[in-house]
Amino acid sequence: MPELILACGILLILVAGFFTRNKKTNVNALLALTILLSSLAYTILCWNNYATPLSLFAGLIRCDQYSTYFKILIDVGGILTVLMSLRNRVLSSGKFNSEFYALLIAAVLGAHLLVASTNLIMVFISLELLSISSYILAGYSFTKKGAEGSLKYFLFGSVASAIMLYGFSILFGITGTLDFTSIDFTGRLIEHQSLLVVVAGLMSLAGFLYKIAAVPMHIWSPDVYEGSPMPVVAFLSVVPKLAGIVVLSKFALTLTLFGQSPFDWQLVLGIIAMLTIGIGNLSALWQTNPKRLMAYSSIAQAGFLLIGVVCFTEQGMHALLFYSALYVITNFAVLILLQAFETNGIDSIPSFRGVGKTFLFSSVVLLIGLISLTGIPPTGGFTSKLFVFASLWSSYEQTGKEILLWLLIFGLLNTVISLFYYLKIPYYAFLKTAVSQPQGQNTPLENFLAFILVVGVVFLFIRPDLLMGWLNTINFVL
Amino acid sequence: MNSMTQHLLTYLIFTPVAIAVLALFIPAEAKKTFRILALAVSAIQLLIVLFIVGQVRPEVGSFQLTEKLTWFTIDLGSWGILQAEYFLGLDGLSFSMVALTVLIMLIASISSWTIEKNVKGYFILLWILNGSILGAFTALDFLLFFLFFEFMLLPMYFLIGIWGGPKREYASIKFLLYTLLGSVLILIVLIGLVISVQAPASGDTVVHTFNLLHMSDPANFIFGSILNPDESWMIGPQTARWWAFILLFIGFAIKLPAVPFHTWLPDAHVEAPTPISVILAALLLKLGAYGLLRIAYPIFPDSAMALSSVVALVGVTSIIYGALNALASKDLKRLIAYSSVSHMGFVLLGLASLTTEGVSGAVYQMFSHGFISAMLFLIAGVLYDRTNDRLISNYSGLTSKMPVFFVFVLIAFFASLGLPGFSGFIAEIMILLGAFASGSTNQLISEGFAVVAMLGLILGAAYYLWTIQRMFFGPFHVKSEIRPEQLTDLDKREFGMLASLALLILIFGILPQILLDYINPFAQNFSESFFNSIRYIQNP
Repeated sequence: MPELILACGILLILVAGFFTRNKKTNVNALLALTILLSSLAYTILCWNNYATPLSLFAGLIRCDQYSTYFKILIDVGGILTVLMSLRNRVLSSGKFNSEFYALLIAAVLGAHLLVASTNLIMVFISLELLSISSYILAGYSFTKKGAEGSLKYFLFGSVASAIMLYGFSILFGITGTLDFTSIDFTGRLIEHQSLLVVVAGLMSLAGFLYKIAAVPMHIWSPDVYEGSPMPVVAFLSVVPKLAGIVVLSKFALTLTLFGQSPFDWQLVLGIIAMLTIGIGNLSALWQTNPKRLMAYSSIAQAGFLLIGVVCFTEQGMHALLFYSALYVITNFAVLILLQAFETNGIDSIPSFRGVGKTFLFSSVVLLIGLISLTGIPPTGGFTSKLFVFASLWSSYEQTGKEILLWLLIFGLLNTVISLFYYLKIPYYAFLKTAVSQPQGQNTPLENFLAFILVVGVVFLFIRPDLLMGWLNTINFVL
Repeated sequence: MNSMTQHLLTYLIFTPVAIAVLALFIPAEAKKTFRILALAVSAIQLLIVLFIVGQVRPEVGSFQLTEKLTWFTIDLGSWGILQAEYFLGLDGLSFSMVALTVLIMLIASISSWTIEKNVKGYFILLWILNGSILGAFTALDFLLFFLFFEFMLLPMYFLIGIWGGPKREYASIKFLLYTLLGSVLILIVLIGLVISVQAPASGDTVVHTFNLLHMSDPANFIFGSILNPDESWMIGPQTARWWAFILLFIGFAIKLPAVPFHTWLPDAHVEAPTPISVILAALLLKLGAYGLLRIAYPIFPDSAMALSSVVALVGVTSIIYGALNALASKDLKRLIAYSSVSHMGFVLLGLASLTTEGVSGAVYQMFSHGFISAMLFLIAGVLYDRTNDRLISNYSGLTSKMPVFFVFVLIAFFASLGLPGFSGFIAEIMILLGAFASGSTNQLISEGFAVVAMLGLILGAAYYLWTIQRMFFGPFHVKSEIRPEQLTDLDKREFGMLASLALLILIFGILPQILLDYINPFAQNFSESFFNSIRYIQNP
């Protein structure tokens, strides 16, 4: 199992840490890279084995293609984070270096387990593994802001976990089973419909919404992002979010009880998605710090991911899979370049003045990445939004629920708002002339990496069938 | 030979794009190379268009020179198959717009010779813009159309934002947000359509297609889908189809622009550099009208017919409101921008009448306004290049200093106000005939609209004649910041551009048959299939 590789990897890096303490070395990073690459390779190799879902450890986790797909994305996210860290000034200084990578892999391991969990206890444990590692990672810039962000993250996170656990305990009390995908669980819930179930469901959802940074559980993210080093920002905006959305999608489907729930969960999630998109986008408009901007952007993107869940159709799930892949690629492309600019001292949006002249190539690649996040052709971001909204429309056609129509219109209109802030950086870079031309070295490695990712983004616009055709072979079973 | 003609449209679209890619490798200092390359692109495109003229038979109303390749096919399981195509084709409407685009692009390239700032970036963006405009005018797949339609946004944003006037940043972002808002409204309908429409005879598995021709046939709507014409899916007080038409109408009206969605236009025009103003007025505005003719009307004929009076009202409001604003404008370029709003209102009026004359006139107006507005913006550019000042009140008695310039101003102004002999007259007379005929034939819009629109013609005469009187007649006088010796007459380049445009305007004013041979079959086909669809919807 890839998880075994990761678990052994954590130990290996910690041992290696004895020899590299406080030294400026890349050994830990390369070790982490190898471990994550082997985990990725192994996950891919296992693909065909999971064509029929495989329950392991007495139903604690279940391996299927749905979770395996997300494991691949999570590993890719981990690998890109390591590559970014190699080029980050703070992280490559050698301070607590091996611990950083050990924690990173621990977080990846947590995410791996979370996407495969079918048991409430397992969900809680893997979520905590992911969270606790993330809390520490968030403080790795060793500044006052970093410490503040890390502590905030921890405090909010603990409260969210506690609420979630309380919700779990009520659900356990009602159903008598922890396996939320089992027939017992849903059967009992159908028998015992009461307000208590709704409250417990909402409480459990709160924990997941916290992980994906959806409104109203999003308040932590801008401060945490601002204080963290850029690779951690990239990691936090992708890996916990994807892991959270997967478990949320499974759990939400359980809560609807295959359409037999008298309580309208679709409405609740639809409203949450709308609020998440709206608040994320509107707050992003006023930001002057690129990290905070990306924080609000990632909140809004979580809202679009939620739309895939809100559809409650297989098509919606497939759109979610496609959207997630695009989100990983694009977000990393943008953040890699933002890190490159940060190394050159360009760390606030007004300081991007005239950057388009000095760093033309990076600026153009960044522009394409940001366009893709907005969802304008010719980028994969457009195609992914097209798929998500097409599933939403079909879902509306099947159910006739007004909330879905409003979500569709509201979500699409929000892309106009998002364009305004996504273009803020290119606006300063290309349209504003600098008082003094920004100086700095070129960053060929970052440019190359981001360029590869952006080529992927454009390619997925031209041939979406290659990815989508494959995704459609994935069966989503609860 | 045969394989050459098969892909004529592809060559037309991708010549500038290919040149733009090649140009990345030319050093930025070689300014002259870029200028010559721009001329070469236009020359090649002009040759292709001449070749197309030889290939197409104008009397055929349907699409010619079609190219069809599968872009992607995705099997979405139980939901069916999603298919997008690279589907291009040319009918009378597309042909006239393509010819207009190529000619205007040539003029814009010549006009761009005065650009000195970052020439490389400028021309690359211009070529991308060129290719995407042509793509939008020839695409017959909704997704492909949308791709080209959106692809214009960013080049235009940067062209205004980097090379524009003092308030360029504000103007460019305003342009971008307005246009994207319009695109999103169109996108909502696009998503709905692809879910509601299937390719004919797709058997057991449903093939969802973006093909515009399939979408225009009401028989292809899936039974029970939201936008199905016989299924009255209500959203609030109206049917879903009614809303879809409204969304498309607003989306394209923003581009057109029609009052009250026009406020981006004066700002964008005033700030844009001259060649970009020319492209904006002559080509981009036409896309709004094109979208209505190609997409909104054929796909939702029932809603279009029900809303004829609204469309006519918006058109007439644009005519009058635009003219009144032009009358009040102090800036010459703003005056011309508002006159564009006024003239595009005629297109809406012609369309709303749904008569063959009206539709023909609307297309003729799109074509003719392309040349006239290009000439007007060049005239504003000539003055601005010399003095950096466009305020009408700062000039008086220019005739004595710039006699040749004055002749062209007279031609352009008179053409724009609709004097017989110029192309604008033919277009507007046809539209008014159509609008009057509608009242007595199909009873869609009342004659009152045509009467009010004629008032717009009078207002047009008023603001143009008043401008001539203020700027060109009387004793020579300019404001102190402008030195009289700056006001030299036209140079050869300017003379060439203005003279060729004046010639085209005269040719299409005196020999309208040249173009009507292409437009009339289209208009007949358009009305016929429009009313066929209506009949099908009423009795399937």
